[in-house]
Amino acid sequence: MTDEFDDDLDFSPAIERAAATSETARRTRVAASKRAATRPTGTAGSKAPKARGRWRRRLASSVILGAALVGSGLGYGLFSSASSADETASSADDIEAGRILFTTSCIACHGANLEGVKNRGPSLIGIGSAATYFQVSTGRMPAMRQEAQIPEKDPKFTDEESRQLAAYVQSNGGGNELPEGNLRDGDVAEGGELFRLNCASCHNFAGKGAPLSAGAYAPAINATDEQIYAVMLSGAQNMPTFSDNQLTPAQKRSIVSYIQSLKASNDPGGAAIGRAGPVPEGLVIFIVGIGGLMGVILWIGAKS
Amino acid sequence: MTAPTATQRRKAPSTPIGKAGTWVDERLSPATGLRKQLNKVFPDHWSFMMGEIALYSFIILLLSGTYLTFFFDSSMTEVQYDGSYTPLRGIEMTRAYASTLDISFDVRGGLIVRQIHHWAALLFVAAMIIHMFRVFFTGAYRKPREINWLIGLGLITMGLVEGFAGYSLPDDLLSGTGLRIAHAIMLSLPVIGTWVAFLIFGAEFPGTEILGRLYIVHVLLIPALLAALIGAHMALLIKQKHTQFAGPGRTEDTVQGERLYPLYAAKAGGFFFLVFGFVAALSGLVQINPIWLYGPYKPSQVSAGSQPDFYIGFLDGSTRLFPPWEIRLFEHTIPPLMWPTLVLPGILFTLAGAYPFIEAKMTKDKAHHNLLQRPRDAPVRTGLGAMAISFYMVLLLSGGNDLIAYAFDISLNAMTWAGRIGVFVLPPLAYLITYRICLGLQRHDREVLDHGLETGIIRRLPSGEFIEVHQPLGPVDDHGHSVLQYAGAPVPKKMNKLGQPGRTLRGFFSPVKEKAELQARMDAAIEAESHDPEPKALSSRVD
Amino acid sequence: MTQTQDPASAAVAARGPHATPHGHGGPDAPLTEADFAAMTTEEAMIAAAREDGVILIHRRQRFPVAGTKAEKRAELAVSACFLTGFLAVVAFVVCFVAVPFKYHLPGQGSQAFQYYTPILGACLAVALFAIGIGAVLWAKWLMPEEEAVQDRHDGAADPADSAAMIQTLLAGLEDTGLKRRSMLKVTLGLAGGALAAAPLVSLVGGMIKKPGDAMFTTLWSKNTPMVYDDGRRVSPDDIAPGGITTVFPGVEGGLLASDSPVLLIRLLPGQRVEARENQSGFGWGDYVAYSKICTHAGCPASLYERQTSRLLCPCHQSQFDVLKDAKPVFGPASRSLPKLPIDVETVDGKSYFVSRSDFTEAIGPGFWERP
Repeated sequence: MTDEFDDDLDFSPAIERAAATSETARRTRVAASKRAATRPTGTAGSKAPKARGRWRRRLASSVILGAALVGSGLGYGLFSSASSADETASSADDIEAGRILFTTSCIACHGANLEGVKNRGPSLIGIGSAATYFQVSTGRMPAMRQEAQIPEKDPKFTDEESRQLAAYVQSNGGGNELPEGNLRDGDVAEGGELFRLNCASCHNFAGKGAPLSAGAYAPAINATDEQIYAVMLSGAQNMPTFSDNQLTPAQKRSIVSYIQSLKASNDPGGAAIGRAGPVPEGLVIFIVGIGGLMGVILWIGAKS
Repeated sequence: MTAPTATQRRKAPSTPIGKAGTWVDERLSPATGLRKQLNKVFPDHWSFMMGEIALYSFIILLLSGTYLTFFFDSSMTEVQYDGSYTPLRGIEMTRAYASTLDISFDVRGGLIVRQIHHWAALLFVAAMIIHMFRVFFTGAYRKPREINWLIGLGLITMGLVEGFAGYSLPDDLLSGTGLRIAHAIMLSLPVIGTWVAFLIFGAEFPGTEILGRLYIVHVLLIPALLAALIGAHMALLIKQKHTQFAGPGRTEDTVQGERLYPLYAAKAGGFFFLVFGFVAALSGLVQINPIWLYGPYKPSQVSAGSQPDFYIGFLDGSTRLFPPWEIRLFEHTIPPLMWPTLVLPGILFTLAGAYPFIEAKMTKDKAHHNLLQRPRDAPVRTGLGAMAISFYMVLLLSGGNDLIAYAFDISLNAMTWAGRIGVFVLPPLAYLITYRICLGLQRHDREVLDHGLETGIIRRLPSGEFIEVHQPLGPVDDHGHSVLQYAGAPVPKKMNKLGQPGRTLRGFFSPVKEKAELQARMDAAIEAESHDPEPKALSSRVD
Repeated sequence: MTQTQDPASAAVAARGPHATPHGHGGPDAPLTEADFAAMTTEEAMIAAAREDGVILIHRRQRFPVAGTKAEKRAELAVSACFLTGFLAVVAFVVCFVAVPFKYHLPGQGSQAFQYYTPILGACLAVALFAIGIGAVLWAKWLMPEEEAVQDRHDGAADPADSAAMIQTLLAGLEDTGLKRRSMLKVTLGLAGGALAAAPLVSLVGGMIKKPGDAMFTTLWSKNTPMVYDDGRRVSPDDIAPGGITTVFPGVEGGLLASDSPVLLIRLLPGQRVEARENQSGFGWGDYVAYSKICTHAGCPASLYERQTSRLLCPCHQSQFDVLKDAKPVFGPASRSLPKLPIDVETVDGKSYFVSRSDFTEAIGPGFWERP
């Protein structure tokens, strides 16, 4: 169990990597975008008009993203201690508040210096604020006990406290940062396509969740924009990580937009019976359809 | 009964209907044949109406399916969606998927017809299955009805193929996944598998042909076959007349019930509307196959919980349970997929088809059977049926074992093992339990026949012994035992099933109070009837 | 079938010698038109039913006394059903036209569409239920109740009939001379058989396609670039440890080819793949690439658990252990996921994944020709 924890959250080298790759990643993306836009073959070529629009958008977002990464990611990553001073005045207070929360609630398993405690909890150095915020704000942390999968539950901390904890962990070794700003400005249709390629295989086509092997499961997605974004960035337990180079921030925002609009959307065809495919439909036809019609034939067949 | 007056005698018809009747009669002379059919007697028992549900669903399917063909396009050409459903706008998809989206979002009222078509399809197969169980458990397939049993099996088989073809047409992510599995099943055929798959798909999966081919199979080929088989099924039913349960006055040589015209026709016609009403209610209130949530099919994508419709579910279940047994011979492969998807249904359907003949051979029964058996009176058959149902149910539940695992927080691997063990353990258990229950029910019937009904009245005998008073069902012999013989007919088990007063029409809110004069005439009529030694079959109204 | 049970006999017998009813196959002559003309409608119906071997053993008006309140109530109830049906159909038509049905995401327009289909369904269901219930109540409450018995006349035909039939058939066969003229028989069989095969031959002949080596090749080959679904090239810098992504061959049609999707997995630190025979060195660094197509039934086996390093197929729950080189460890799959040999090429100082060759074995579900 604990070995899994160590595997799970041992991202201590992440800080160097983030710093080293963000600049090259930006260049890569721009270069790839240009190449793809001019290449006549393959997928980019076959979707002519729409694709060009998409590529333009992607190019633009890549440039913006690159700038953002250079500005914040690189700066934050390299000079994480200094960066806290750049932020709002409350930031230092947040970290201090987070430290206090950490020492009262997390220290038993994760150690006084976030180094982890053998057989209890993994090191939190370098996991970043995204992972911390996701785990704490969805109630997964603090965990009740060691088990196959730590379930979502009512969060122990308020949203503010979760952010303070996240800020504290972020200040200790950096890592993937909690995103800021509007995360729902993505392209819903593109998000849907990416969702079906990357997410639906575990979480089902409507984000309703599904089982994995041997008692593990992919939970139903009942999360806020930030939580969804954060968990894509950091991964969680058995869920793989989707780095910003793999799924760009714009694509992540598109996925968030799709999930949230899907969840909020109304069903045009009546009760959705769980949005879980043909199994509930089969139950309905036997219980309501056949069951009801048995009642009808008993009534018609009854002798007066 | 009043003597007929001149006006009641038939002259040359003067009413429009009468004239039209004469017109038809002079040209087609349907009188004799038609009258015979109108006078055909149908036994009425509630369980005889399950097949009707399937028949009516088929009619609903034809109606709604014809509507859908006006809008559906089976082409696999890639287009960019530009319809009303915003979350898919701009996505590349086939014309088939786009036109199904159009039916759902841009054709006014198109969605409800799509849902009617899909719900009716589920009802069609479900009704055929329960109808088959009814026929099995009552022994209705015995001589002379073996041919109709086989036609019925053909109908179910065709129904499964037809349903799967229809499920595949929208080319959404779910149906495309299903089609891919069907492709893999074709590949698994020894020697010819690859050639069969290329023949049917016209290229490497998915190709550009398959939906067009499935479409014509779905809207022409199989519906024509289904219609022909249903016609044969009904023709044989009319020729051989319906079976009936044993009971007072019921014999092997006669059929007792209501005539087709007008009573049975009115009830059956009303039942059609009720079946359609259920389908319409489901279609309006419960969403089915929301293809817009699944997205268009891409070979690289899949959703968790990808299932077929319930009627293919047992094959999906058998596929999940089957162990990875692959045969490799001389550089060739027989994949494990073949056994649970081709061999198993082959065996199941062959067994079902052969069952009437096996049973006749084993029981040396060559007699003509028009009287049905109650399940308890044929415990071995009922046990075997329970065995078949439990086998089927284990497979069916295994087809949805991922959803069960998720809903009840069970390990998926444990569910698979439960299915693997259950499929062997549960059927024999079901047989034993059912067999014992049948014998118990029979014994209770015999007991009531022998000793009469429990009245709930306790009497203390002079000796101090307490006994319950029993009401004999018929005359008794010197020992107080009934002379009634066990005949496989229902036995009343409660006092109020014996000789209670007939039905009285009561008001909905208040008792109906008739005028004194009318009430007196009604009482007189009832009185006269009850004193008549030979009850009047013909009772004209007293005007 | 006893005649005394049948009250119609008395009624008909009074009307003349020819009007005597008879059971099926009875000695009496069939009823004439004049006989029927002498009866009431009901009597005629009963007499005609007897001709068909149908005897009404019980027939009773539901309301023997006309004009009772109970009867009026029953009629009213049935009429109310039909009227409800009419009104519901009118409501259906009105709602069909009047209710807005266009889809909008929340916040982007009217959400009234969510009621459109349910309203139509409810109106239609009410209409159909009302008409159906009305028809059944009509039969149950207002039409005379009856119990009829009909002769079945089933079983084999009359032995004499059977004998005559068989002889007729035999005589016809005799006339054709097929028994004696064996050459006719053989040639006719040949012609018939060939003719029957012709449509089958032409159908299969038209549809048949040679598989060739299509089952053994994919779009991957030497130095095929690996791209994401949006066309970007995949770099070793992209994926975080414990990450997974679906990649495609960066060639024409690579995105939609059913045999080419590949899962590129970056292992967590400390995880190590035990390579199968002849597959060592197929990975690159801590990256491995496997066919996404399940070797069981062809679904994308893409549910990756990074802690247990298992890949699960959602269709039939085959589980593959990536650390054992994607060997099946649970469920119905019998073969490992094929592994794509990958390498990295450097373009403009930046490294990207390419395939070193095609898969070394057939991908996807098993088939006969596969060794």
